[in-house]
Amino acid sequence: MSMQFPKIPKKVNIAGFVNTRVLRDDKKRQVFAKYEVQRQALRYAVRNTSLPARTRVQAQLELAESHSYTRSTTIKNRCVASGTARSIFRDFKLNRYQFRLQALAGELPGVRKASW
Amino acid sequence: MFSYTSRSLFGVSKHLKVSVPFRALSTPSQPTPEQNNIPSQDPTETSTPPAPAHAASTSSAASTPADAAPAPAPVAPIEAEKYSAPGVKEWSERLGAFDEENRLPRSVQAIYLRPLRRKAEHGLPVCNLQLRSYSVRNVEFFADFAIRAAYYLNLPVSGPVPLPRITERWTVPRSNFVHKKSQENFERITLRRLIQIKDGNPRSVQAWLAFLRKHAFYGVGMKANVWEHDSLGMIAPFFCIASTIAILTSFP
Amino acid sequence: MAQSRIWDLVKTQCRIFSLNYNPDRLRLGNKILRQRLRGPTLASWYPKQTVSFRQLQNSYKQFGLTTFDEAEDDREEAIQVAKMRGKGRPKKKRTAAESRSAKKKK
Repeated sequence: MSMQFPKIPKKVNIAGFVNTRVLRDDKKRQVFAKYEVQRQALRYAVRNTSLPARTRVQAQLELAESHSYTRSTTIKNRCVASGTARSIFRDFKLNRYQFRLQALAGELPGVRKASW
Repeated sequence: MFSYTSRSLFGVSKHLKVSVPFRALSTPSQPTPEQNNIPSQDPTETSTPPAPAHAASTSSAASTPADAAPAPAPVAPIEAEKYSAPGVKEWSERLGAFDEENRLPRSVQAIYLRPLRRKAEHGLPVCNLQLRSYSVRNVEFFADFAIRAAYYLNLPVSGPVPLPRITERWTVPRSNFVHKKSQENFERITLRRLIQIKDGNPRSVQAWLAFLRKHAFYGVGMKANVWEHDSLGMIAPFFCIASTIAILTSFP
Repeated sequence: MAQSRIWDLVKTQCRIFSLNYNPDRLRLGNKILRQRLRGPTLASWYPKQTVSFRQLQNSYKQFGLTTFDEAEDDREEAIQVAKMRGKGRPKKKRTAAESRSAKKKK
């Protein structure tokens, strides 16, 4: 897999909070999406025991040598509103604190203070 | 939470008293009791009424009992009138003959009554429509709308079935972790309604879905599962092709 | 019933329902092929910018309408103020000689 990354565009096209870390994470996501099919094909080849051992090892090597951005493990969910990487609600893509702020401001449809 | 403007049709009942100029279209007759009692005698009639959907005004003109056939006016089988409860009669008095000179067209009157329904002959489910919203009012209104629309498209409908609510709760520290002892709870309750279409023509089911999509209501999400049935000879090994056809609008 | 008959049955079954006929239970890695692609969902985590204020301005310009971008105006004003105070950005060095002379002055 010869990796030639598209450069990070100088013009940021992310709406919302932008940060170097956010940009980097977005980059990882784009790269992962781009190479996912290729990656899956290699993974298939590695796992298919009916293929000759040589091919499988080659596929393994290629996977190991590929850039880390083609792996999904490097992707980290970040808060869309503040760029924080901790305690993110997947439903809202928000940090716990941003979630609270927005919920109190009534910006999250259906979410309200609960007491039971 | 949400501001309710006067979208509800039930809020405008005062307008009933306005004299309606449709009078000229309909022949002079009493649209009330004897005529309305007829459909209760033959329930089979519901399967083949001439579609009263097309226009409010024109259909009322045709709906006169001038032709004294046993199957009466097309808009007649209003469900509320099938029952001879005293309250229902009040309704018919108020709506049908509150002023015999001036009355609303039948299809407009139907809005004030319970939605009309077709009878399912075979009861084969064809389409499941799930409505989701965070406010009761919106789902209820839209479910009612969908059922009425289905009636006019000749689709037998069952529902709306209130499915269990989805309650999601989150607990969040009010500020930094140091003050973990002070937390706040949030919740989101999703209300669901299931509307099932039974043995309808697939094309009219599609038309119905498209109509609902066109008139999508704010704050109401829709998801439809559509089943298509084929005869055994069509494709030998496949008896039934089930497909989730359309997620109409994104879920809330 | 003969074993071979059963295998035949399984074979036809697999053909009909387009499954993999794998009587020896070899690891063929088909589970990888069955997985969904996660790329599109992952890539769409951050909301993408759709329209910028500049684009709106440009689209209204052709109708002869004037628009005001207050943030942009503030920025330009601040630059003007900085320039008047002699705190503006230094001039771009175009050639190597220029940049060298700038260094020497230090």
